Amino acid sequence: MRDDPVAGRQRRRVLAGGLGVLAAGLGLSGRAARAQAGVVELPVANGRRNLVAYPEKRPLIVLTSRPPQLETPFAVFDEALLTPNDAFFVRYHHAGLPTTLDADHHVIRIGGNALAKPYELSMADLRAQFTAVELVAVNQCSGNGRALFSPRVAGGQLTNGAMGNARWLGVPLRQVLARAEPRETARQVAFNGLDTPVLPGGANFIKALDMAHAMDGEVMLAYRMNGADLPMLNGYPVRLVVPGYYGTYWVKHLSDIQVIDHDLESFWMKPAYRVPDNDCACVEPGTTPAATRPIGRFNVRSFITSLADQARVAAGKPTEVRGIAFDGGQGIREVAFSADGGQSWRAASLGEDLGRYSFRPFTFGFTPAKGINDLRVRAWNRSGQSQPMEALWQPAGYMRNVVESVKVIAT
Amino acid sequence: MSCVAQLRHALGGALLALALLPLSGVVARAEGGTRTLVLPPDGVVLRPSSLPGYVKAQAHCVACHSAEYFQYQPPTAPRGYWEAMVKRMRLVFKAPLDDADVPDIVEYLVKTYGAEQAK
Repeated sequence: MRDDPVAGRQRRRVLAGGLGVLAAGLGLSGRAARAQAGVVELPVANGRRNLVAYPEKRPLIVLTSRPPQLETPFAVFDEALLTPNDAFFVRYHHAGLPTTLDADHHVIRIGGNALAKPYELSMADLRAQFTAVELVAVNQCSGNGRALFSPRVAGGQLTNGAMGNARWLGVPLRQVLARAEPRETARQVAFNGLDTPVLPGGANFIKALDMAHAMDGEVMLAYRMNGADLPMLNGYPVRLVVPGYYGTYWVKHLSDIQVIDHDLESFWMKPAYRVPDNDCACVEPGTTPAATRPIGRFNVRSFITSLADQARVAAGKPTEVRGIAFDGGQGIREVAFSADGGQSWRAASLGEDLGRYSFRPFTFGFTPAKGINDLRVRAWNRSGQSQPMEALWQPAGYMRNVVESVKVIAT
Repeated sequence: MSCVAQLRHALGGALLALALLPLSGVVARAEGGTRTLVLPPDGVVLRPSSLPGYVKAQAHCVACHSAEYFQYQPPTAPRGYWEAMVKRMRLVFKAPLDDADVPDIVEYLVKTYGAEQAK
């Protein structure tokens, strides 16, 4: 963990729950009720949340218990550039989770009406019969930051912790599909996992990518995450990784791949996970978009990680600030910072480059003036795309990427 | 109705089973193998109310998902939101609701968690 002299309010609360966490982590009593590790007050109306240690996880912010939806406490992003597996966010749509999973008998079925040779793929074959690749890539929930929308929108009330950066090891989907000999008629590829709706006939969580995207060589079937098996709650034993795209496409416990000659029509492709079909993916607050499209690539985001809003700093003392930036796969070209609420800007220093899908770290120094210092960071990617100074709005609460403000108090 | 009852029974059984799982035991270095997943119990329960929708929400809503879905919504969430969600649960996720259940549940939700809460 990096030295962090000015821990935020959220982090202190996490640490305050440490004893309960330890007991749960050791499994001493085994009573899951003791996994409750405290509460956290998110900076929004009605923002009180439980912190609970789920299996293979440290205490995370519980958005929902059943199915599990867990947000990463933001201080974690200051620990390391790769988000630890035990802190990586969790998002399920159905409470029908696999409760026992034997990877040695797990099979991925490859079928559909637009391929010549359907087949079944075991985990052993996936590991042995294809050329594995490694890629560092951010996964981010479509609704990351939804609770910060103004005016508020209903839905999962996340702050900015529904994202994470990991080193994925797996096999390019292109190799797996090529073996099945897709036909000219192939239009989309649909992905299903082992999680299921609770009630029979409920809309199953199946997602689709266009054929060209599925065959781009970057979409992968990942079976290792940061050098370890995937945690159960992140899709053990294998999940789809769709670099640069929102997490809705990163199907967990992947079990079925269908190459089809039409566009998948399902609740989870339409009306769910749609954004306004215009350049900004936004509309006037409170209005309905005229047309929508499936959510796609991440926009540009950047965050200060070493200082939380309302943190106390020493006036007149030069202070180094750390942060992270990322985008949908162009790579980050530049980050600027402001210490005066956006009136003047200077360049931050970019750090280690783990690839164009990764968090890119940055640092800058400033000397706090006595009173409130309004810190802002703004990133540009290699295509020149950036972040808006004022938040954009859309009814589903997706794709937040405003230049965030972190106000620190110098005394 | 019986399917919901069975479901609740199954969920209860799953929750009871969780006591014996070593939470950290799955952090093994070895690749593959069998994993077991047992989740903690729900962190919040439905807020009690004298409104008739409370009992119906217990039977039909939290049978399938936990109560944070209601509790953490913005307090400004309008009646239209709750109506749309109950309709979605019925049509898209096959919640076995009778026509008479819908307005009662919406009334309970908007007055307990949404824009029509007592000030």
